[in-house]
Amino acid sequence: MHYPFWDQPIGYGVLMAVIAVFHVFVSHFAIGGGLYLVVNEQLARRAGDTDRLAFLEQLSKFFAMVTLVAGALTGVGIWFVIGLLAPAATEALIHNYVWGWATEWTFFVVEIAAAMLYFYGWKRLTAKAHLTLGWIYFVAAWLSLVVINGILTFMLTPGRWLVTGDFWQGFFNPTYWPSLVLRTGVCIMLAGLYALLVASRLEAGDFKARTVRQAAGWAVVGLAVTALAQAWYWKAIPAAVTAKALESMPTPIRAIMLSLWLAAALGAGVVALVILAPRRFGTVAALGFMTLGMAWFGAFEWSRESLRKPYILVGYMYGNGAEVAQTATYKRDGFLPQITYRTGDDGADLFRHACRSCHTLDGYKAVKPALAGADRAYILALIKGAHLLRGNMPPFLGTAAEAEQIADHLYQRTDHRPLAAIYPIDGLALGRRAYDLRCGKCHAIGTASDKSKSLVGQSAEDLSGLLDMASSLGEGMPAYTGDPAERKALVAYLQSLGLGGKP
Amino acid sequence: MTLPDYHFTSAPLWLVTTLHLLTLSLHLAAMSCLFGGTLIVLWAGVRKQWAGPDAAGFVRVLPAATAATVSLGVAPLLFLQLVYPRQVYAAAIVSGWFWLAVIGAVITAYYAFYRTSFQAHRTGQVSPGLLALAALGLLYTSLVYSSVFALAEQPDLLRALYAKDQSGWVWNPALGAYGLRWLHMVLGALTVGGFFVSMVGQKAPAMAATGRAAFVGGMAAAAGAGFLYLLTLDADLALFMRTPAMPVLVVALALSLAALHFRARKSFALSGLCLFFSVFGMVYMRHVLRLVRLRGSLDLAAWRVAPQWSPFLLFLVCFILMLVVLVWMARLFFRPEPEVESQRKHQP
Repeated sequence: MHYPFWDQPIGYGVLMAVIAVFHVFVSHFAIGGGLYLVVNEQLARRAGDTDRLAFLEQLSKFFAMVTLVAGALTGVGIWFVIGLLAPAATEALIHNYVWGWATEWTFFVVEIAAAMLYFYGWKRLTAKAHLTLGWIYFVAAWLSLVVINGILTFMLTPGRWLVTGDFWQGFFNPTYWPSLVLRTGVCIMLAGLYALLVASRLEAGDFKARTVRQAAGWAVVGLAVTALAQAWYWKAIPAAVTAKALESMPTPIRAIMLSLWLAAALGAGVVALVILAPRRFGTVAALGFMTLGMAWFGAFEWSRESLRKPYILVGYMYGNGAEVAQTATYKRDGFLPQITYRTGDDGADLFRHACRSCHTLDGYKAVKPALAGADRAYILALIKGAHLLRGNMPPFLGTAAEAEQIADHLYQRTDHRPLAAIYPIDGLALGRRAYDLRCGKCHAIGTASDKSKSLVGQSAEDLSGLLDMASSLGEGMPAYTGDPAERKALVAYLQSLGLGGKP
Repeated sequence: MTLPDYHFTSAPLWLVTTLHLLTLSLHLAAMSCLFGGTLIVLWAGVRKQWAGPDAAGFVRVLPAATAATVSLGVAPLLFLQLVYPRQVYAAAIVSGWFWLAVIGAVITAYYAFYRTSFQAHRTGQVSPGLLALAALGLLYTSLVYSSVFALAEQPDLLRALYAKDQSGWVWNPALGAYGLRWLHMVLGALTVGGFFVSMVGQKAPAMAATGRAAFVGGMAAAAGAGFLYLLTLDADLALFMRTPAMPVLVVALALSLAALHFRARKSFALSGLCLFFSVFGMVYMRHVLRLVRLRGSLDLAAWRVAPQWSPFLLFLVCFILMLVVLVWMARLFFRPEPEVESQRKHQP
């Protein structure tokens, strides 16, 4: 509320993901890749394996280019982007963890310096000196993860910090250790996958087969560590959070399931490769594995981010920057007096600060199509009952008058025509669309809040009567206000659900 | 349950401010070597003053200078955000797209430096196109920084600009408030870059002469731009002159002249030291000026101080370790052992 709102058309989540996902790939690869290089250099020097040393030098050039430039700068980029998208949360984190970040910075400086000297030192330094620099690089890079992991996990599971405000209790929070093991596994896995990619370009032969087998070993070991740690991580998350996700938050559950399937596919693929064709292993397969690995990690990060909803700092600050501790103030005085930067359009300002950090009007998680055909009363009911929608939205904490102002703002920007006029559909298709828009926001089919089984055997008249009394059926349920054609189609669709049909 | 309040500083303000000023001075010194050095190489290339192996040798240092600039830039930004988040984030949000594009500009510059460096290593020549691209990236970054940080000190203007446009496409229109400040910074970079070039090119007469000229000329021009900038401060100038910044200004000027003197006597270590502390003095003045301009909208005394001594101690230990490791690694790298040839098992 103390900051201006960056009203850009790309969704906040998308913008954050573009920079953050790229950075987490590169930064984890930077750690695992460092370990891969130095361990292999040590083995190769011990064995006098010049082929392997040449391979490692080639590997280190691209490694340095990726980690020193893209890795370092996208890390800074995350800072830039979180300051733009979630300034209040960033401020809270910096005030609590400035010394954590400052400590991480010291490791970062050593990491960057050691990487440069290692890269430029292949021809200049003795074997011992070169290896020492390699180990310094890896240790500094991993220690930087050790520190950042504390701040990152704090956001999902702040633990006792919520009571004591103690730095260390927040840092060594319930998911700290499983997350550290998991991320270390990811580092090793990505290093193996990257080595596979470079090895795929080698000439077919014994050396290639050896290199592919060894790189595959790194990928599989990393994946195994990660898979075990993911189970541990899930158990470490407070039961209230996981139970809520299982009950009403399909996104993180889907992301977790996706990550499990991707991990299984990656593990099976890499093992099959080692057995079947290490000599003929090509770049396309290597790229495929790399994509699978990144997709797996992306799915995990997606689940972690989604589980945090509706908070950005669980139990402390909502995704829209509203502070839990200020709830009474917001309810008493409203949001508007807390908004420092005003534009003169109160409805727009309220929409920005209450909703816009997740929803755009037309683009990512668009509000306009979601409210198509809705009347003002329905929009107002949704705003007031926002926290009931799939369980991952923050409650609207402002005054009743402010909820009306947001409803006005949105109503003026949405299409009020009947659904059948907006979309050229009728029959069950229209009914399904009506269900998605009017009912599915809370009662999505297939989720814990799916009530379709209770509709079995109900007549059209019964179902129509149910719609008439919708606003009295539960807390926050809006009245049904669709036109007769939409109502008829919705009733038909509800009947088809009751019969077990899922058109 | 009463939740913890995050409106506090986790160390006494003097400590945070000292760390901010120190790390910002280090960042500016590295940035000036990089930015000023790049501009000088380009200029010398255009005038055909020095090129070939000398220029190529210098260009090969630039990726390391970029790494130092980026690494040393993280800490001052962190400490700045600790004390001035409301001002800095607000200004950055209003100019969001320009601010975010800094990352792209620096990545482009960084890769261009690497590319030029590899090319110089291979061919012994400098690619002016790539170097110009890198310089453009840095120039853009310097402009955005000046624009955003100047805007952060003008809360009324910030509010007015945001009320008109929330898209993040707002460029600070008060050029008068930061144009000369930006010029002063660029000329300062040219000065430090000149020193850096003349130090690296001690054994290359043309390179040393170009560096020396940039060092002397840049310093005179930077001083001129700096004084002109002070004159644009209007009412703030009178307040500024009553702060401890004025004696610091005199000392910084004296240190700059001492840097010239020692440079003329080819005492690079002393000259560099004087130059660094002169930069530190400028950074301190910049800090005082920020407080003067934010009077009425920022009361640092109102901040609650709740020190976190154990995490701070950890940072301090790691900071000292970082310095030790950096020095040790540099010695290892730049002083290869005599038996290096015999120990090397691999020469790809």
